[in-house]
This record gives sequence, structure tokens and C-alpha cells, in this order.
Amino acid sequence: MSFIEMKEIEKSFDGLPVLKKVSLSMDKGEVVAIIGPSGSGKSTFLRCLGQLEVIDRGTIVVDGTPLVQTEGDGNAVYTDKKTQQALLLKMGMVFQQFNLFPHMTVWDNILIAPQMVKGMKAADIAPTAEALLKKVGLWEKKDVYPSKLSGGQKQRVAIARALAMNPSIMLFDEPTSALDPELTGEVLRTIQQLAEEHMTMIIVTHEMAFARQVADRIIFMADGIIQEEGKPEDVFTNPKSPRTKAFLDSML
Amino acid sequence: MELIDYLLKITPVIANGLGVTVSLFLIVLVLSVPFGVLAALLRLSPIGIVRKIMAFYVYIMRGTPLMLQILFIYYGLPFIPYIGVQLDDTTAAVISFVLNYAAYLCEIFRGGIQSIPKGQYEGAKVLGFTYVQTMRKIILPQVVKRVLPPLANETINLLKDTSLVYILAMNDVLRITRGIVQRDFDTSAFIVAAIFYLIMTFVLTNIFNYLEKRYAVYDE
Repeated sequence: MSFIEMKEIEKSFDGLPVLKKVSLSMDKGEVVAIIGPSGSGKSTFLRCLGQLEVIDRGTIVVDGTPLVQTEGDGNAVYTDKKTQQALLLKMGMVFQQFNLFPHMTVWDNILIAPQMVKGMKAADIAPTAEALLKKVGLWEKKDVYPSKLSGGQKQRVAIARALAMNPSIMLFDEPTSALDPELTGEVLRTIQQLAEEHMTMIIVTHEMAFARQVADRIIFMADGIIQEEGKPEDVFTNPKSPRTKAFLDSML
Repeated sequence: MELIDYLLKITPVIANGLGVTVSLFLIVLVLSVPFGVLAALLRLSPIGIVRKIMAFYVYIMRGTPLMLQILFIYYGLPFIPYIGVQLDDTTAAVISFVLNYAAYLCEIFRGGIQSIPKGQYEGAKVLGFTYVQTMRKIILPQVVKRVLPPLANETINLLKDTSLVYILAMNDVLRITRGIVQRDFDTSAFIVAAIFYLIMTFVLTNIFNYLEKRYAVYDE
């Protein structure tokens, strides 16, 4: 069985279907990039896995543990709260708008979740937090508040904050879309580094060159369905679907 | 010089009212802030009936005069079947002030909570925070910074509103002052009372300025 199994996910907002039976199965260590036009449902799909959206129908199984299942024609049934929480803690999520906590320093942003959620002592989490901040190159910024950071720095702190919870899957929801072009590189390099360490990742992105370079598999979504998926070379150089081709042409 | 002697003579008498004014103010402030936060959280509850009840409560408290509420709690409550009790004047005053101020604070905190971006909740949720942890550690600390200016307004209003307890014959600063004015046929006692209120609001203003500066260490 795959590490992540999402089957026939259906989701509507106010009767408007945004996901129409979208499926994805991933192995541990795999990096999947989801591309597609705005409103294609790609962020929603990612958010379903991160438990920020409740699906209408479909099945999600992570590491052998079902999060939500659908029997026959019924509605999706979620597992108990405790299991939901356990699965949530396997995920780290990074947002377009960073969502750092503005009233805390960089250091506290990283420490707060391990302390509150896992009940760890500050002294026990400190070495990990220090290593993570050094990894994203922001150790010297540990005592500043997020408002003093550039967008790229904020996003690197957000990545470190997610990693501090020691997740086995990282979800990136358009991590560079809110950044000035000259700041995207530093964030992409950090994600690249995680890929090299074989972190399982799903990246929703508009950065085509980056998706091609970092992902093992590209998924092209439009109108709430997966139009095409495959190895980066195949999807980018030889797209089968006319939708994919039109989209890629428009991105150039 | 006669005036100065007179003012010096009545000042300690008026100061006797500070006990009632200050203690009522402090008790009501300490109680109405947590009640106001709780009311705001209920006002934003996912349960429709809870939201409606809180909206109705706020409507009643803001829609009728505080003086009427004080009179009702003190004189009207004993006539209500089953729950009717005769409260002493201080208890009646505290209850009516807390009910009234918690309603105003409810709306201030509600506005503050709703002004926090959705992303803050989502950021906390994916890190595994429970609702209570999210509120306590992430949302409410940010709300405090945003509501400090309106909170300062309400606090200063409360200090001055305490003078309404004269209706229950409680001897606060203003009631004692009125007594002196009526006894001596001399309105200069009002000046002394005004100075007492100004000194107290000066202290409050400075406390809030200090808090605003402290919260200014971070920007949104």
C-alpha cells in the first residue's frame, strides 16, 4: 500500500464542485508537484490532506491509517478526533501567506508548537530548533519578530517551524506566490534541500522550472480534475492533454 | 484664602467616597473583562442558538440605560418569582455593572477576534493546536493589542459611570460632593470632585499608554 492514498476525493463549496473524484497515491520519499491554473482545485486538494477542508466523498489513508472513508453511496466518514490529530502531526504545512505568529519572535514561533502540542520542554526542543534555523540560514534572526523579516525569510521560518514538529510529509501551498521574484530562490533552495533529504512532499506551485527540477512526478490539475500526470520530462516536453499544452504555453 | 481653606476642609470628606468609587471600579473591571471575552467567544460560537442568545443579551444591555438596569436589579429582582432575591446595594451595583460592561466588552473583543486573519487559525491548526490552545496562545494575545484603544475608552467610561450608584444611596465621590453642595449652597465642591476624577483618569490613561507601548514591540 502506498504511503499516501487519496481516492476519488470530492469537494464542493456551496454546491459548486471544486474537486471531482481526484485521486493520488504516493510513496514515501516521493516529491509531487501540482500545477495548474488558479481555481483548478489544486490548493483545495492539498488542504484536504492537511485537514483544513472537510471532504464530501472519497478516501484518504496515510501510512496505513484511514483519515476518512466513504462506503458505497454514503458521505465521507472521518475517523475519531484522536486519530485525526495523530495524522495531522505527520504533516507539516507551509502556506502562501506564511501564517507566522506576529506576536512571537522567530525563536518562539518555532518552539511554541512542540511545547504546546507535544508538551516538550524548551531546553529539549532548543537543539533541534537551533539546527533548523541554521539550516534555513536564519539563526542570527532568532530574536526578531516576523514583521522585521523579508517575505523569503518569513517563509523559511515557516518551513523551520513546520519541521520542528518532525513531520513525515511536507505540504507546500504555493510557497513562493506571495514573494517578490528575487526572493523566491532562497525558499526554493530550502525546499530543494528537503527533497534531497528524501522528505515526502506535495508542492502546489506556479514555479514551472522549479517543479520540473525538484519533483519526481508532475500533476496537472484543471477544472477540479487531474488532466495529466507523469514524469517532469514527459509532462513538460511532451504533454498529452491539450489542456496541459495550452497551460504550459501560457506560462512561457 | 477663605475659598482655599474651604476646599482643603471638604477635600478629605470627598476623598471618603474614593473607597466606593475605586473598589466598585476595580471589582467590575476585573470581572467584566473575562466575562466579556467569554461572551465574545460564545457570540462567535458555531452553535446558532448560542449566538442568538448572546446577540439578544448584548441588545438588552446596550439598548436600555445602565441606570435602569441598576434599578431593576436592586428594586425589581425581588419581585421575580423563584429567582427573586433582595440584594444588598453593593452586590446589586456590581452585578448590574458587570452585566452591562461585559456586553460592551463582548462587542469589542468580538471585533478584535474577527479581525485576526483566518491564516492564524490555519497555521495553528496544522501544527496540532486545539481550539483552546489556539485562542489562548495565538488569537487572544493578538486581540489584546488590537483592542487596547477601545478598551481604554470603556475603562475610563466605567470609572465615571460608577457615579450612577448614587441612585442606590451609595456614598461614592460624586454623591458625597452633591451632599456638600446642597448643605453649603456652594458649588466649588464640584471642582474638587472633578479633580479627583481627572487624577484617576490620568493614571488610567498612562497605564494604557504603557500597555500600548509594550505591545508595540511587534507589528502585524
